[in-house]
Amino acid sequence: MTPQASAGDAALVADLEAAIGADRVRADAAARYLASRDASIYREGNAGPVCYPGSTADVVACVQVATRHGRAVSPRGAGTGLAGGAAPLGQPVVLSTTRMDKLLEIDLDNGVAWVQPGIVNLDLTRALAPHGVHYAPDPSSQAACTIGGNVANNSGGPHCLAYGVTSAHVLAVEVVLSDASVVTLGDLTAEPTGYDLRGAFVGSEGMCGIATTVAVRLTPNPPAVRTMLLCFDDVSDAAATVSAIIAAGIVPAAIEMMDQRCVTAVERFAQAGYPEDAAAVLLVEVDGAAGGVAIAGERIADIARRHQAMSVRTAADDDERARLWKGRKSAFGAVANVMPDYYLHDTVVPRTRLVEVLDSIYEIVDRHDLLVLNVFHAGDGNLHPILAYDSRVPGADERVHAAGREIIELALDMGGALTGEHGIGVEKREYMSRMFSAVDLDQQSRLRASFDPHCRMNPGKVLPSAHSCSDIGALRASDAAGVWG
Amino acid sequence: MTEFDGVLRTFAAEVGSDGPVCVRGGGTRWSLGGDLSPGTREVTAPAGIVAFEPAEMTVRVRAGTLVTELHEDLAAAGQRTALPERAGGTVGGALMAGESSVARLGLGPVRDALLQVRYICADGRIASGGAGTVKNVSGFDLCRLLVGSLGTLGLVGEALVRTVPVGEVERWVRLPGADPGAVRSCHTAASVLWDGTDVWAFLSGYGVDVDEDLSRLAGPAAEPPTDVDGPPDLPPHRWSCTPEQAASFGSGNGAAGRFVAEIGIGVVHASEPQPARPVDPGVAELNQRFKERFDPTGRLNPGRDPLRKP
Amino acid sequence: MHLGLNDDELVACVSCGLCLPHCPTFVITGRDTESPRGRIALMRAVQNEDAPVTDDLIRSMETCVQCRGCETACPSAVPFGHLMEGTRAALADAGRITPRWQRLALKGLRHRWLLMAGSTLLALAIRLRLVPTRRLGLPARMPLRRPPLRASGNDVWLFTGCVMDAWQRDVHLAVQRVLEAAGVGVEPTGAAAPCCGALHIHAGLESETKDMARQVMAGLSGDDRPILVDAAGCGAALKDYGHLLGTDEARAFSARVFDVHEWLADRLGELRSRHPVAPLDVTVAVQDPCHLRHVQGAHQAVPEVLTPFVTRVVALDDDGLCCGAGGAYSVMEAELSRAIRERKTAAVARSGASVVASANPGCSLHLAATGLDVRHPLELVDQALSSSRV
Repeated sequence: MTPQASAGDAALVADLEAAIGADRVRADAAARYLASRDASIYREGNAGPVCYPGSTADVVACVQVATRHGRAVSPRGAGTGLAGGAAPLGQPVVLSTTRMDKLLEIDLDNGVAWVQPGIVNLDLTRALAPHGVHYAPDPSSQAACTIGGNVANNSGGPHCLAYGVTSAHVLAVEVVLSDASVVTLGDLTAEPTGYDLRGAFVGSEGMCGIATTVAVRLTPNPPAVRTMLLCFDDVSDAAATVSAIIAAGIVPAAIEMMDQRCVTAVERFAQAGYPEDAAAVLLVEVDGAAGGVAIAGERIADIARRHQAMSVRTAADDDERARLWKGRKSAFGAVANVMPDYYLHDTVVPRTRLVEVLDSIYEIVDRHDLLVLNVFHAGDGNLHPILAYDSRVPGADERVHAAGREIIELALDMGGALTGEHGIGVEKREYMSRMFSAVDLDQQSRLRASFDPHCRMNPGKVLPSAHSCSDIGALRASDAAGVWG
Repeated sequence: MTEFDGVLRTFAAEVGSDGPVCVRGGGTRWSLGGDLSPGTREVTAPAGIVAFEPAEMTVRVRAGTLVTELHEDLAAAGQRTALPERAGGTVGGALMAGESSVARLGLGPVRDALLQVRYICADGRIASGGAGTVKNVSGFDLCRLLVGSLGTLGLVGEALVRTVPVGEVERWVRLPGADPGAVRSCHTAASVLWDGTDVWAFLSGYGVDVDEDLSRLAGPAAEPPTDVDGPPDLPPHRWSCTPEQAASFGSGNGAAGRFVAEIGIGVVHASEPQPARPVDPGVAELNQRFKERFDPTGRLNPGRDPLRKP
Repeated sequence: MHLGLNDDELVACVSCGLCLPHCPTFVITGRDTESPRGRIALMRAVQNEDAPVTDDLIRSMETCVQCRGCETACPSAVPFGHLMEGTRAALADAGRITPRWQRLALKGLRHRWLLMAGSTLLALAIRLRLVPTRRLGLPARMPLRRPPLRASGNDVWLFTGCVMDAWQRDVHLAVQRVLEAAGVGVEPTGAAAPCCGALHIHAGLESETKDMARQVMAGLSGDDRPILVDAAGCGAALKDYGHLLGTDEARAFSARVFDVHEWLADRLGELRSRHPVAPLDVTVAVQDPCHLRHVQGAHQAVPEVLTPFVTRVVALDDDGLCCGAGGAYSVMEAELSRAIRERKTAAVARSGASVVASANPGCSLHLAATGLDVRHPLELVDQALSSSRV
């Protein structure tokens, strides 16, 4: 349930306090309890002392102290992850990056900004606004999530359809490795020399080291933007419209889809003006030069009408555009308007198979007597079926997990992927063997071990237990979860 | 998990599990990262398009396929990839060299184009990294690691590559004496090349947007843009600079000789080679650890080292 | 320990974290223990998992400013304010928070003559430099004499309350003049409604607050005149009586309560046609009090009312993040409160405004302590009206 400080912690805490200052270390039960969880439903995390470093030197010092005490280290950003990636296992020292939140430098000549990992994604974009540029990846949690967390998860977001995920926007990253050495992976040149270690590091879920400074690419704001809301009275028509848009050679900045139940839930909060009688809505945004935007917008509207769209609405101004997006981005949280708990999936399927996949998902969910809200990045086939339930109802957890498993297997059978942007964490760890062969996983484990030979960074994540033998060693140091106090 | 097809299995058998081995593609970048150790056995990767799905905007292609042939097939559906076209250059070679196309501004770098890779490991087994979809973060990113690795970590047999639409209108133009920065700010500019005097631009997009950009560039002060067949002759050596360095390459790089700089990107093509770039010892050690973990006996492309790429 | 919280409200939080950037204490400390999501998780642990109430957990609750910025940001509509009030009530009942001296001080607010006399003594002490005003977060100057409040009609009540009436009666008088200029007859509530109880409910003194609510309702019963409030904190408390007491009578009372700006915004045309004015030549930054923006959702009315009367109104760029005043918070949690305030003063500096308009006395005192020129929005309107009259 709640973490119990083990006897050995007093010396560890004292050393951490000596290393980075007492005001930067918390070891009480409340702090550890909260550092043990993220935004997922995983509740078995077990944090050791929580540190709030302010600099790379602080991070180095924490890693040194942890190693001396035989403890692993788990990084933590805002804790908005949805796969338990930030849930510490085995009472590691938790390094929260929230106080490393500075924007260090804006370098317009090289189209890059240097930031500390704790800076909030949206704060970065806002700080860049006066320069006519932005940071493109925009996960739904962008108002709260940190760039460090985005790097760890290789986060996506609606606009990654046209602009690419985090990996395409990180040029260099300063990392503290498990041996407490500091290296900078990648640089600002066109083709950095050596292996693409920056590419290998992005998305490694904190298991390869702690990012302490990140150079992110700046994207010029498009001269023109058109945001459209397409409404359908059949989910299949909406899905077919998505495929038809892509097939027509149009690459919109974003194509998002929400089904009726989801629309109803978010409309209560966002009052975005989504029609609650539509079976599905598509939020489509095109950007670029004004002429092309107008043409693409017309073509998309035509395609939608050919697929029996009930209505095609174009946002009249920035205000309306912001409201349409606010609805989309608050969807996960708004589920509580329907049910108190949700289990969110993040599978990807080939985007040409959306129609059949959605049909199957509704069938699975009906069979398990559950509610599903579908809200997802339709343009890249990245599904987010939200299973809404009340965990206080006996048997609900089991039904949710059974349906979840079927949805994941369905996606994999369609040639899809386990996760498109939320990461594997602990939630999907055991599904990895369903998607990858033993050889594949062995190769992935070599990548991790090249960075962290002793598996001391965020152990126990991503790789299924059979492929993370040394992690088990690191986890063994942990005490069983005890009672708070 | 998918069963690997017979072609891939045959390739794996050819690679085998011991003895120094390399894959010969088109040989267009054969000396990149150092000379191959003598006595290294050469094999050839299989060729051919496995599956092209225009509505998915992906193509599954075998490593030995010529990029030019691939692009010919894709062109029928109005698509192409970010891989550079070189006479005789293969898909596998382009991925392993990791060098971007001259139109990287529009197409993106090669590293972002690879969605899934099937390759032969040092022990002769077939591994797969990435996923068959356009988006994926399942596990560690072997695709990014392999692009540009010069075949020293694994030998690529098959790749799933992202495609992009060909612009409705595409034109190469030459702009004598133009300001490269101004050309770079054009929305349809998919390539901006500058030799210190003149600018070449590849404009790609909707016709209205290309026209709009052209009329902007043909301001009263500038000489009018003239249509050309393609980029200027590129000097043989490739420098990797920051965009800022490339934009001011003319001054202070006298030793480079004649040059053509990719504005907004940082690649500079010059008549003389780039001096060796300093490598941080920590980074060098990490590179070494990767090589040792992935290829413990050092049998894959011995003699080559991505750290020795210019 | 059961905190007496509604279980459905408690489980409504799905831990998404969208509240984090809107929580002033999380923004400053970066610690989950000082965040809405964290505080709710701890409430759950105590109420549903039998977790003991440790000192650290109590700190987590005490450090909350109760600004309710998290509620505006919450897509799940978690009623955080009620959860925090309930938690504090349970902790106060158990004697774990709100020490005896604080309860005594809060009791004093109900006794009007005591408050007025005490305030006059305090004002005297400040003049004689016997009190370290800055350290205690007190205004550098307080009135020794208060001009009397007089009714000018009976169209509306003007709620005058406790501390504000004692310390900032000038504001009430200015508000009354503005209302009268709009042709409205105003009756100040004065002794009829001594204190709204906002500070008491924040301190967890629930049953006392209920008594006070009944007293206020009794004092203003007998007709259904609108009750206008010029202090956002009091307005929020009065509007919440319906929820606090849960009776039809209380709900009907709360429906009569308006923030004075929200009420005036609908009558701007009347005011302007009666009194054409030249706007004051000043750039005003509007500081949104949390209890106006996040609790009442009426903050848009302030710039609307202000705009015709000053040359330039600017919004702050901090998403309405709290200023750290929080009623007694600025005294009880002085260090955090000051750190939060620094972000607000930085936002004011970025705005380029020379005057800050604040519709809440607590915020106004807290910000003025940094040397900023802070006025009630209607003081500016009153000034514009009176200078045009001359």
